[in-house]
Amino acid sequence: MSEAVRVMVVDDHPMWRDAVERDLAAAGLEVVAVAATGREALARFPAARPQVVVLDLQIPEPDGVAVTAAVVEHDPEVKVLILSASGEQADVLAAVKAGATGYLVKSASRDELLDAVLRTAAGDPVFTPGLAGLVLGEFQRTSDSPDEPHLTERETEVLKLVATGLSYRQIAERLVLSHRTVQNHVQNTLRKLQMHNRVELTRYAIERGLDGDE
Amino acid sequence: MFRALAVLRIVLLVNAVAFNLYHAADYAHPIAAAACVAAMVLWTGFATWAYADKRRRGFPLLTADLALAVALTLATPWVKGPDLTASLPGFWIMGALFAWAIHYRLFGGLAAGVLLAAADLARQEIDASDYGNAFLLILGGAIVGFMCDSLQLMATERDAAERESAMAAERARLARIVHDGVLQVLALVQRRAPELGGEAAELGRLAGEQERALRELIRAQDAVTTVHGDATADLASELARLGSRTVTVATPGTPVEVPAPTAREVVAATRSCLDNVRVHVGEHAPAWVLLQAFPDRVEVSVRDDGPGIPAGRLDQAATEGRLGIVESIRGRIADLGGTAELATGDFGTEWEIVVPRTDDLGSAS
Repeated sequence: MSEAVRVMVVDDHPMWRDAVERDLAAAGLEVVAVAATGREALARFPAARPQVVVLDLQIPEPDGVAVTAAVVEHDPEVKVLILSASGEQADVLAAVKAGATGYLVKSASRDELLDAVLRTAAGDPVFTPGLAGLVLGEFQRTSDSPDEPHLTERETEVLKLVATGLSYRQIAERLVLSHRTVQNHVQNTLRKLQMHNRVELTRYAIERGLDGDE
Repeated sequence: MFRALAVLRIVLLVNAVAFNLYHAADYAHPIAAAACVAAMVLWTGFATWAYADKRRRGFPLLTADLALAVALTLATPWVKGPDLTASLPGFWIMGALFAWAIHYRLFGGLAAGVLLAAADLARQEIDASDYGNAFLLILGGAIVGFMCDSLQLMATERDAAERESAMAAERARLARIVHDGVLQVLALVQRRAPELGGEAAELGRLAGEQERALRELIRAQDAVTTVHGDATADLASELARLGSRTVTVATPGTPVEVPAPTAREVVAATRSCLDNVRVHVGEHAPAWVLLQAFPDRVEVSVRDDGPGIPAGRLDQAATEGRLGIVESIRGRIADLGGTAELATGDFGTEWEIVVPRTDDLGSAS
């Protein structure tokens, strides 16, 4: 990579923030901004113009989900990597629906974090098996309504393998696909999940609109 | 309650006044009748004001209320003359009856009913309809009293439940903040300790274990908040408990309700699969558990990264009659009407457990 990846770190625990910042800087990445609260994050984001936001979900208002939605809205090119301690399932899913493309628990090692940030910057979705299970569950939950986006059989198969701990390389070998194709399938599931979120938002807006007419 | 009674009193008063005006010409003592009606009007006005404040609703007020109703009833024969059967206050006495029922509940309603019925029966020759009226008075007083008791009890219970759920929500919110802080620190220790080396590395490993245990506990606790009866269990949180340093569990984000015995068997089978991984691949070999929930079935996949089982090994073992764990897993799942398939290859070994969610097993969700 010719230019250093520009990263913003958002976490309300100073020790954590410093640790992540130090690790990323030591690996040659450029930490362009840090923030301790959602408000600070949103205030500093436009000027810092990071490529990747490493974001803790449990931060003072507005929370990680809202920050994700806001920064993606502001800059559709930005990538959000969720770094969460508790891994509260509903929050993680909400953040991914809001536009985050990666999720890592804080117990991940330094190398794992670095790898995840670089992959996120490259536009690769970073899935943990836990996240894959959540996404599968989300599509199964809405599987019987015709106007929601559905996963193809292949996408489901790939996601299932991610959820049982296979790496993209292992999945490619097992399904006799190229590494790139596997990545595309995973990316598509995320896109559909985010689209599903937009469907929900639209429906919500319509319902609210109809209420207003009454 | 007393506000509703005040409205009722006015309706009853209008009815009684109209009835008496209509029949006034036939009365033996019209002036006394007018005085009685005036007393009813004044008392209704006073009672509406008096009952409005809780502090005034005491024994003196209620006694006066009932005494007036009884007195008016007893005065009827003299005021109206012996030929007219309808009592002077008529239905107006219900005001006093219900006041007693509301204030003193079942026994108040019963006592007031008995007293008014006795007064009503005492003033005239008794025929079948009089007896019926008296019976209705007693029954009405008792039933309204009983209902007031139940309503009060329900309101109290509802208030308590609302308070409790608000308190539980607040406790959960505070716990979440504390847990998150603890998790952050544990994760940080786990991350930094290996870099320090020596004994710190062991410290880091312990922190990692606690961090994982706490995370699973939080997940399991979140599932508990969904109310389910004794008959069903949340398979997602049960399986999540199997997670450890080496075992990664992935589940849908929502509870997966299955009959409790089914959950028990599926968890036991999954545990057997994981035991198998430890025996055949290694004590610290990683394994993954995935739970998927469909409307008609649940699927559990258990995979390891081991070398797999050489082709023919299983068949050979089967013919030699030593399938042990494999048979016990298949047996457990077959008893639930499901299937357990074993796939093996260079990706490792994978169990695929499928259990139907049939209605007769009560797939309550």
